[in-house]
Amino acid sequence: MKTLKTKGILFLSLAISSLIIQSCGGVPEDTSISAPSDKAFAVAEVLTLIAEENDITRTLYTKGIVGAGKKQGLKFDEDWQDDEIEAGPLPALFLRGISSDIRKSDVPLGLYLGSDFPINASNKFQGKQAELFEKIKSTEKPQHFYEEDQKLYTSMFADLAVAAPCVNCHNDHKNTTKTDWKLGDVMGATTWQYPSDSLSVKEAIGVINAYRNGTKAIYNAYLEEIAGFKIDSTKPQIGDKWPSKGFYLPTAEVFIDSVRQLASYKSLELLLGSKSVASN
Amino acid sequence: MFNKNPLRKRQYIGSLIGIAIGILIYVLLPLKQNEDFLSLGPLNTGHEGLSCNACHTDAKGNLLQQLQSNISYTFGLRKTKADFGTENVDNKKCLECHDRPNDRHPTHRFLEPKFKDAIANINATECETCHKEHNGTRIVLKEATFCVNCHYDLEVKNDPIDTPHATLIANEQWSTCLQCHDFHGNHIYSVAEKMKDTIPLKQIQEYLKGGKDPFSSKKKHLPLSEEEWLKMKQKYSKTK
Repeated sequence: MKTLKTKGILFLSLAISSLIIQSCGGVPEDTSISAPSDKAFAVAEVLTLIAEENDITRTLYTKGIVGAGKKQGLKFDEDWQDDEIEAGPLPALFLRGISSDIRKSDVPLGLYLGSDFPINASNKFQGKQAELFEKIKSTEKPQHFYEEDQKLYTSMFADLAVAAPCVNCHNDHKNTTKTDWKLGDVMGATTWQYPSDSLSVKEAIGVINAYRNGTKAIYNAYLEEIAGFKIDSTKPQIGDKWPSKGFYLPTAEVFIDSVRQLASYKSLELLLGSKSVASN
Repeated sequence: MFNKNPLRKRQYIGSLIGIAIGILIYVLLPLKQNEDFLSLGPLNTGHEGLSCNACHTDAKGNLLQQLQSNISYTFGLRKTKADFGTENVDNKKCLECHDRPNDRHPTHRFLEPKFKDAIANINATECETCHKEHNGTRIVLKEATFCVNCHYDLEVKNDPIDTPHATLIANEQWSTCLQCHDFHGNHIYSVAEKMKDTIPLKQIQEYLKGGKDPFSSKKKHLPLSEEEWLKMKQKYSKTK
């Protein structure tokens, strides 16, 4: 009888404490992971979209800022952040800056640049990336694969010599490992990684925004660097004009706006064409 | 009650003493002046004087909610665990104060697939691999020869130093790297061009153990102090 009573009390107290714990509700789960039913895009689709936006951004920066800026006397250097060097980021470092800023956001997107003949040895492809890069060089087609060890969906896209500054700087650089680059060559590849096989519209927009915010951040870092130049005459006028018009640089907003104008049509087409949006 | 069995009285007093000690521990231990008793070990170089909750910030939700979430997780009713008591101290937490635009070796750089062999040897994607806290030191590695994991095939064109990098690499002198190169690249200093002018290995070793900084007293970016971090956090939570 006594044991029965003890068991009863024990059961009752367990039931009450479970009820109390349960009635509190849990800690809200991180909403960055969407429910499977919300998934609207395959990861390769979104990475292709963002790689195209990256091509546009890089071409604009290389031609419109670096190429035209050099003619106006602006300097670009790999050690652009050093105190004694008054210069802007080279295109590869501009991309590195975007990549770093994306990593600071909550979007789990990875972006890297590599080559088989890089200026900086740490950017040389190895292993599977090196094998796939050989394919990219011959076909110029993207390679999509699942990186087993990291559990990440990975896409690699050709990085072409789209402008004269790419070819000239790489051929003439003191640490170059190849001196016969020419326009149109596959100089390297960008590697993009994302942890899930599909994305919701919200997640896809998050990826685009993370990339654009990254562009804005590195461009603003360049403008801050210019603000710190010791001699005023070496500072270009920052506003709505581009270096092709004189000793000017566009503001970050003007630069991003141009990227948007060039990229948004395609991006919007993909977003509107998704299953979930189309069925609404 | 005590007349039935005198042992009951002892049980009763014992329980009361136990409860009182429990309450005292619960109230006294979290006080700021008692943080040393809770700490797993002395804080690392530069972190002396930080409060526990500068890193161990409160986890989301109250204790019951955290308990409920983790029970749900155990039975597969939710996808992610919830932090219990305090938040997990990860890279993000370190970078709230130590993030710098010019970090030569940011942790995220090593997430790239090509570094997978290197990070199997030394997991450079996590700050705590080198800077594990509560060890009263600057880095916890016994030897600072980690550069070999990525730079084993380094070739330097127009090598500026009198003993060429090729010779140093051939002789596997990986402990010499730090005699010229500051890993995170935050010091303002000029690099020696002769081996005899480089920072002596002993000074580097002492620095890694928490000793005097042999590179330079000048740094490009300073980390946030606890006060600055708190201000930043408050400003951020207000704008949210």
